[in-house]
Amino acid sequence: MSEETPTFSYYRGTTPPKFVTPTERQAAEILDYYRVPWEYEPRTFVLEQEANGNIVEAFTPDFYLPDLDLYIEVTQMKQALVTAKNRKVRRLRELHPEIRIKLLYKRDFIQLAKKYDLSLPS
Amino acid sequence: MTTPPDRSLIGDVYLNAEAIAARVAELGTEIETDYRDGDLLLVSVLKGAVFFMADLARAIDLPLEMDFMAISSYQQDREDQDRRAIRFMKDLEQPLQGRDVLVVEDIVDTGLTLHYILRSLGLREPRSLEVCTLLDRPYRRITDVHVRYSGFTIPDDFFVGYGFDYRQLYRNLPYLAFLKI
Repeated sequence: MSEETPTFSYYRGTTPPKFVTPTERQAAEILDYYRVPWEYEPRTFVLEQEANGNIVEAFTPDFYLPDLDLYIEVTQMKQALVTAKNRKVRRLRELHPEIRIKLLYKRDFIQLAKKYDLSLPS
Repeated sequence: MTTPPDRSLIGDVYLNAEAIAARVAELGTEIETDYRDGDLLLVSVLKGAVFFMADLARAIDLPLEMDFMAISSYQQDREDQDRRAIRFMKDLEQPLQGRDVLVVEDIVDTGLTLHYILRSLGLREPRSLEVCTLLDRPYRRITDVHVRYSGFTIPDDFFVGYGFDYRQLYRNLPYLAFLKI
């Protein structure tokens, strides 16, 4: 990303976050503003593994909120294109029912953007 | 000379004054029953919840006190590098220790603001701390906040009236209408 990453007060990771999309950065800014401690991509979950140990499929949720014990995945993809991500989240819940994860869709972020007067990535 | 407000932004009525009044009366009765032996302090967040607070307080036939707080907004602070965290713009005037505090909100959406409020007020050791909201969007919740009393679960739209504004206008409408933006 070309935009400079701002200083975060409630980031709880050890290395500076490197956001992949502007939506992720905006989500981080909102969490930080509301004093919600957060980590960026702290854990990768193996969803499918071969017998020899090779990882076939894995999933790394964007955020973890340690105080709330909640993972958040944000997606700015169109609703019709999130099937694969939905499947990953569903699989994660099957394998780890103890994990709490929330998927924020593009429509959710559009509403958040209106509420918080954010500029949305195209 | 100021430009008159653009009323074309006000859409159809979602909840008329009668529907709001009826639900507020129900909530008042419920709260009255639950806090009959309590020491009730209604705490409202300026400015949106003021109309709801005033009507709700009058629907509760119990001795109670009222207090108000104001919270900063991300929308107003986001351009200011020195103001990058939510904070109290106006704090409560009453101590909360040992009181039965009921936070009166206009709307609970992501729960982020309410999460901060409850965390902050919880540190002041009230005997109980609950939430009453006029409008609720539980499907938009990011943080887990327990809402004990909820007036209406609403769709994913924006509203004006009965305390809800668009650029500080239309709060005084007696009904809740869709905002056309």
